[in-house]
Amino acid sequence: MIDFEEELKKFHPSPEVEDAESAIRALDVTDMVDLIVQLEEKNRTATTRV
Amino acid sequence: MRCFNCGCELTVNDFCTNCGADIKDYRRIVRLSNQYYNDGLVKAKVRDLSGAVLSLRACLKLNRMNVDARNLLGLVYFEMGEAVAALTEWVVSKNIKPEKNIADDFMEEVQSNPSRLTTINQSIKKYNQALLYAKQGSLDLAVIQLKKVLQMNPNLVIAYELLGLLYLESEEYKRARRILTLASKIDCNNTRILYYLREAEEGIRARYADEGAGSSKKKSVTASDSFTYMSGNETIIQPINTGEKKGVSGIISLIIGVAIGCAIMFFLVLPARLRAVSTQMNDQLKAVSDELTAKNADLVEQDKRIEALQSENDTVKAQIDELTGSSGMEERYDHLSDAALNYMREPDDVLGTEAMLESILGDSISQNSAISSIGVSSNAVTLDPAVYSESFRNLYGYLKGEVASKAAATYIDRGREELSNDEYQSAIADLLRATEIDPGSDEAWYYLAESYKESGDSVHATQIYSKIVNEMADSEYAERSRRSLTNGAATDNDSTQTDQDNAEDTAAETDEALAQALAAQALQQATAGAAASDINTLEGAAQ
Repeated sequence: MIDFEEELKKFHPSPEVEDAESAIRALDVTDMVDLIVQLEEKNRTATTRV
Repeated sequence: MRCFNCGCELTVNDFCTNCGADIKDYRRIVRLSNQYYNDGLVKAKVRDLSGAVLSLRACLKLNRMNVDARNLLGLVYFEMGEAVAALTEWVVSKNIKPEKNIADDFMEEVQSNPSRLTTINQSIKKYNQALLYAKQGSLDLAVIQLKKVLQMNPNLVIAYELLGLLYLESEEYKRARRILTLASKIDCNNTRILYYLREAEEGIRARYADEGAGSSKKKSVTASDSFTYMSGNETIIQPINTGEKKGVSGIISLIIGVAIGCAIMFFLVLPARLRAVSTQMNDQLKAVSDELTAKNADLVEQDKRIEALQSENDTVKAQIDELTGSSGMEERYDHLSDAALNYMREPDDVLGTEAMLESILGDSISQNSAISSIGVSSNAVTLDPAVYSESFRNLYGYLKGEVASKAAATYIDRGREELSNDEYQSAIADLLRATEIDPGSDEAWYYLAESYKESGDSVHATQIYSKIVNEMADSEYAERSRRSLTNGAATDNDSTQTDQDNAEDTAAETDEALAQALAAQALQQATAGAAASDINTLEGAAQ
């Protein structure tokens, strides 16, 4: 049997049109490429210190 | 492919030839991202929308610059009824690639239909409200709200999921199954939907099992009464013999049904039908009445026009009769022409010409009651310029002037001859005619008096003698008249008694003629100037 309360917690309010702007602003668009760039920056900095 | 560090075009080497950055991992990430995109695309094509969403999100986590994946994700969101999420992805896509981006078309299509966008937004608000109701425990209100949401936005998958969950909670498994089946047609491989659907099937199965166990006291459903088969995940239990019971109760039910039908017909349908027919008849009656009123008005107007035309016709007829009838102008012109012709052919037949001229005026006098009532002689009548034309009046005056004196002389001669032959009545008539034609002729008056005296009419004789003495004192007949008066016209009368009686009989007639002659003399004097001028004019024209 399903747990109604637990299942209900999985449902979240859907963003309305008025909230579109804030939803766009809050969107996390960080990707793996960003992480690679950060790593490259760190490696470069470490190499420079050495 | 471009370098993530400097943006330079990459070669087959594992490093950037421009900045020297290691791009081996970058290549692998981009390749992996593309694989996720392809996976999402395949899932979207088979309507595994939730699976497509997961793949495309993973794709974008690896490489956020994958515009195609972002646009497809927005499209999948829109298909699932989540317009705001779709718009969000398209806007981000547009930011990453402003030119030649299909996201433009998607957004334009959504924004070109504001009412649809408003409806979607309203459905999302109602969904949020329903979710709130559900979390507050108001499951019935939540169900009602979600039904409205699905009417407005039939693709909102999360609304199907929530409604299915609410039905499962209220143990309405069949409804839950129906709703979740609809949702699975939109998103065929949604894990949550499949999970709930399985719960619904189990619930249905469990309920049938309970009913089968609990109905042992009733009529048991044996294997021969029904058969069961599986259709996908659904278990179908179909009864075999479902015929209705037959017997007396069926006939009674039929009779009752017929009676109810008749009653409905009589009390509901028939009055409405009669009312409709009555209304239609009233409308027709009103239309006919209006038409009749209009026709009557037209008829009255036509009658008035007919009366006016009849009156006008009568007037025209009278005018035509006046012009062309026996007493009309045409006839008078004929008389005048005849008189002129007669005068030209036989100048000596003055009496004939005079008679023709008299016939003109006779008609005129007969028409002009005012003139005839005063007993004015015809030759003293002035022709009305309004009735007779100038040429008519001139010709008439000319002929009258030429003929009158000669006719008067002829009458006088005839009267004298008749007087000498003792034909007094004829003499009086001719002499009276002479005085009418020429009222200034003292000779005519004198012999008229003599004729009266000889006929025994001393009264008229005395009147005429007195007239001659008074009005024609210079005449040669004045002295003779005076003598006659002195001798006594009445006492000199030696006629017989018979002659006196005859004279009395004709007294009335002669009175009138005499009065006309006297009046003619008076009027002739008054119109002498005008007549003379007319004659002079006509003579000038004739010359």
